[in-house]
Amino acid sequence: MKNMMTVFRKEFYRVMSDRRLLFTAVLLPGVAIYVIYSLMGNIIGGQVEEVETHEMIVYTENMSAEFADYLAGSEMNVKYEERDDLTFDEIEVMLLEGNMDLFMSFPSGFDERLVDYEDATELPNVDMFYNPSKQFSSNTYYQFQSQLTAFSQAVGLDRHGLDYYIFTINQADEDYEIFDEQKATGQGLASLLPMLIVMFLFSGAMSIGPDSIAGEKERGTIATLLVTPIKRSDIAIGKVMSLSLVSLMSATSSFIGIMLSLPKLMQGENINLAIYGVFEFVMLFTILLATVLVIVGLISIVSAYAKTIKEASMLILPFYFGAVILGVSSMFSDDTQSNLFLYLIPLYNTIQMLIGILTFEINTAAYLVTMISSLVYVSIFVYILNRMFQSEKIMFSK
Amino acid sequence: MKVLEVRNMKKTFSLSRKQRAIEKTKETKKIAVNDLSFTAYPGEIYGLLGPNGAGKTTCLRAISTLIKPDEGDVFVDGFSVREDSYEVRKRIGFLTSELKLEDHFTPNYLFGYFARLHGLNEEETLLRRDELFGRFGIGDFQEVKVADLSTGMKQKASIAISLVHDPEFIIFDEPTNGLDILTAKSVTDYLVELKNAGKTVIVSTHILSVVEKICDRVGIIINGKMKWTDTMDHLHQSSETLEELFFRLFEESEGTL
Repeated sequence: MKNMMTVFRKEFYRVMSDRRLLFTAVLLPGVAIYVIYSLMGNIIGGQVEEVETHEMIVYTENMSAEFADYLAGSEMNVKYEERDDLTFDEIEVMLLEGNMDLFMSFPSGFDERLVDYEDATELPNVDMFYNPSKQFSSNTYYQFQSQLTAFSQAVGLDRHGLDYYIFTINQADEDYEIFDEQKATGQGLASLLPMLIVMFLFSGAMSIGPDSIAGEKERGTIATLLVTPIKRSDIAIGKVMSLSLVSLMSATSSFIGIMLSLPKLMQGENINLAIYGVFEFVMLFTILLATVLVIVGLISIVSAYAKTIKEASMLILPFYFGAVILGVSSMFSDDTQSNLFLYLIPLYNTIQMLIGILTFEINTAAYLVTMISSLVYVSIFVYILNRMFQSEKIMFSK
Repeated sequence: MKVLEVRNMKKTFSLSRKQRAIEKTKETKKIAVNDLSFTAYPGEIYGLLGPNGAGKTTCLRAISTLIKPDEGDVFVDGFSVREDSYEVRKRIGFLTSELKLEDHFTPNYLFGYFARLHGLNEEETLLRRDELFGRFGIGDFQEVKVADLSTGMKQKASIAISLVHDPEFIIFDEPTNGLDILTAKSVTDYLVELKNAGKTVIVSTHILSVVEKICDRVGIIINGKMKWTDTMDHLHQSSETLEELFFRLFEESEGTL
């Protein structure tokens, strides 16, 4: 125990006393995330605002006077131009070049046909040409399509009265949106945070793990440690503990970075961590601690196997991508898994538990399975690491 | 008596494809040392002499428990490296060019770190630090990071750290390699001091003059085999010099120089 703590203190001091390493491993992730996410939020916000304030350029042919009157009541920012001389090729070029957002072609005598509908043999058709690859054009199309639909319903109501409708939806003066505000906020966080947390735990451990073990092999300093009279398990546990603490610090920094930048990223959506109590935070911390131990254990084994830092970093990458894929899967899941066996899968269980904690749906049995299985995995990893430290082939391979 | 005994030690290494290409062989294994036996006694310096690649470092690494012999054994103060490696490590101080100090730390920090790993308390550590840092003049650069030290300073710091626990058995692999003449003399003088203090010292080297100057007993290894081992006194009584003996044994082994 004493030697284990000696190794732990030295490894931890190694990071804490190296300003550059401390900055890159602990501070930089949080700062970088804050800056990047804030920037992303500003860019997204800017784009949304640009679309909302953009003056839509709509060219019309045989514009319906009735529809124009209908639109007069709307607050859309539109510049109309009536043109009946444009060829299809010209329309195509203008849409592709962004000089036109929408071309609406009404059949001639459209308004009259609306009135004399009983004599009609076919329905009048409105052609709308737009460029779905351009945001302004796409947005203009959806706004006008919506207006045309509403106009069509208004005309239908005029013609047939209430018979036009079979039924209505949500027309009473009621508050139809019934939801738990806390849970809704939690759901929002649960769609994003589990993936980011797992990614940051992994990248935090990746930033220092290879140097701590593969680096010591590469530089020849591990042999100096191995000739001292301490148990290999003390070295293994001391290193894993130290790496875990630094990884947790790195993940905390990332977490703070996310929380500070989320309001900008999510464009003003209400994000308030005060909805969570001490219980949720304790659960969150214990799950993160168990997860970081598993990740560090895995990275330590890969680092011990590798001959160089570079090789270790390359070997860890597939595991990192696997973790990211598991994280992404959480973005499309509203509920947690109820099958307890699935909580035996490392990292997947973390993501499921994080969703459960953030959405206030904590399954105690799943929590226990996650914690116990994680501790078993860590024990296995430390045992393997211990054996690897004893293997001359692994420690001194060239 | 606290002796170090190497008994019929054999060690074989697997050769990687790259190593086979370098050594131009199709063999997948290489015998590094074979049936190696010798004994080192307290108050003596045992010199392990041999050309590069003879198996000296492999032998010393096995003594230091970094690698395990395939056959035979090494006994340090009666403890087997195969069975009691922990006890062996407590009794030895091992220094080789393969063992490096971490660049980020200072000699002072590393000395304290290894002292704790060897179970020394604060008082014992301070005493040893004063003694060894004073002996090698490390005090002047004890707070300078290893990365910023010269080769000689690093070697002095490495020696002090390897001897932090005042071991009875001192194993130095090519201790004067790459050192300037003054630092090399300081190291060889210290080895003699350790011998005079009753320690069992083993040094490996390919420099004949070092053996001539400080060793009491010598073993000549060629191609992983002990070709000759005896005291320097006996050698001096014979008609051959160490140099003549070494080259004769080498020629007999290789067929040619």
